[in-house]
Amino acid sequence: MAKLLDKQRYKCALGAMQSVQAIERALPILHSGPGCAQKLSEQIGSSGYFSPNIFPCTSINEKDVVFGGVKKLNSTIEKSLKVIDADMYVVLTGCIPEIVGDDSGEVVSRFNEEEKPVLYVPTAGFKGNNYKGHEQVVDSIIDQFLEKSEEKEAGLVNIWADVPYQDLFWLGNLRELENLVRELGLKPNTIFGYKRGIENIKKIPKAQFNLLVSPWVGLSNVKKMERKLGIPYLHLKTLPIGATETSKFLREVGEFAGVSKEKIESVIKENEDYYYYLIERYADLFLENRVINKQFSVIADAQYSLGITKFLVNDIGLIPAKQFVVDDTPKKYRKEIEEEFKNLNYGIKAEASFETDGYLIHEEIKKHDYHGYPLILGGYYEKELTEDLKGNFLNISWPVQDKVVFDSSYVGYRGGIKLLEDIYTVAVQRFN
Amino acid sequence: MSYKIAIGSSDGVNIDLKFGEVSEFLIYEVEGINYKLIEKRKRAFKENNAVSGDTFESSCDSGCCKNGNRKKCQGPKDITSTIEVIKDCRCILCKKVGFQAQKQFEKKLITVFDIEYPINQALKRIVFYYNSIDNNRSWHL
Repeated sequence: MAKLLDKQRYKCALGAMQSVQAIERALPILHSGPGCAQKLSEQIGSSGYFSPNIFPCTSINEKDVVFGGVKKLNSTIEKSLKVIDADMYVVLTGCIPEIVGDDSGEVVSRFNEEEKPVLYVPTAGFKGNNYKGHEQVVDSIIDQFLEKSEEKEAGLVNIWADVPYQDLFWLGNLRELENLVRELGLKPNTIFGYKRGIENIKKIPKAQFNLLVSPWVGLSNVKKMERKLGIPYLHLKTLPIGATETSKFLREVGEFAGVSKEKIESVIKENEDYYYYLIERYADLFLENRVINKQFSVIADAQYSLGITKFLVNDIGLIPAKQFVVDDTPKKYRKEIEEEFKNLNYGIKAEASFETDGYLIHEEIKKHDYHGYPLILGGYYEKELTEDLKGNFLNISWPVQDKVVFDSSYVGYRGGIKLLEDIYTVAVQRFN
Repeated sequence: MSYKIAIGSSDGVNIDLKFGEVSEFLIYEVEGINYKLIEKRKRAFKENNAVSGDTFESSCDSGCCKNGNRKKCQGPKDITSTIEVIKDCRCILCKKVGFQAQKQFEKKLITVFDIEYPINQALKRIVFYYNSIDNNRSWHL
């Protein structure tokens, strides 16, 4: 019997078109039915050089299903190359051409001799969600555009984290990770965001190593790069939020990169001194039991669930209730991520559930005894539930409806402070 | 369940006429995956001021567009009366079908395939396609 999924937290694989949009001057060309781009794009923050509403699309209809959409795809790519000025053209396929059997890869290969690169990414909606689609986009860039480079640039580090547009804080997070790596004296290289387009993609093979900061998204990419481009990788599962995790992050990255111990410790000390100066000033607020909740639940993708849990337990001293990872993590990664949730200070172990159905998540939250008001950090779907339970709610994961974020971030020392500000702002609002 | 397909062709071998050019539609009847030509139907009438090409001039003579009343638009008489002639068909195959005509076909739930193939090749494809979806079988090229 068919199952219903209530309040899902991800989009279909074609949502990865926004990963392409995040690469400056890369253009997604969609081979799908009409309207896919408009439905899959974020409501706010999606405009720019080319917005999803005007992505070139083959808009296939019944005639193309019966007779094949290959001709239409060919002419769409050809005309896009003529009319649109971009550095890289990425063809993404939707559900219909893949079900029907269009050989889109063959059509794209006809453009191999063109001046600008034309890539092909099979992102049929039924193949997975947009987290997998994002990995697929990076895979295609590695397979079809990058070549192994004998010359390596010392200190150059490729940073892979976050999924653009799916996470509201993607731009700020990537920039903050770059800043942290730069403080260690290394040269960070990312491909998403402002002024980091195809030039940075070309630098990828020259890196000393790949830095993956994510529980599982991107793991297959760095493994592939190790095989094809000969670049070693360092996989850190936790997104560093707050002092405990960020200092750990700096130590691990520094050691892997061969940065001297003195340098690492001096960077950490400088940052921690300021961080704890800020915390000290508000110690009276933290110690007031009436203001803050005792237990919390995070309902977000693996990255935030894990990162925020560690921050709230290790840095702030809250107790974790059940945490929910809602990005449909592939089964082969779940065990390790569960183990990571148990890796907290003071012997505290958090329990993680990989539930994607919103109704079941809400039922679990309602059943649990939070020993006071619950602190819920999740998607906008959780707002009403938290109000019913008289808890404190912060909207941090998709869908985000009640805040506008340009380039602020929750990563690093500054990120931990900002998360504290946001949580306690909600807490004192209710107090008043 | 059998159904009919209308084709615009000048020689009975290729689909080579635009909708506006067709004077006689070839009507095929389809049963399962077999089809045969059963009749030829003349289009209703040809206006004297018809322009060469795929669509007729917008000779809407009821003046209803003045009120922006798009829902009630019956379309140019030439097109609607021609569609009347083949209204029992499931789809129509022509080299090109103009936008106005397409809209009127949509209203009568007749699918428009504006393609240019030999008749047999096109029919084989369409018949195989309809057979799959009518019997809930998976479809692929």
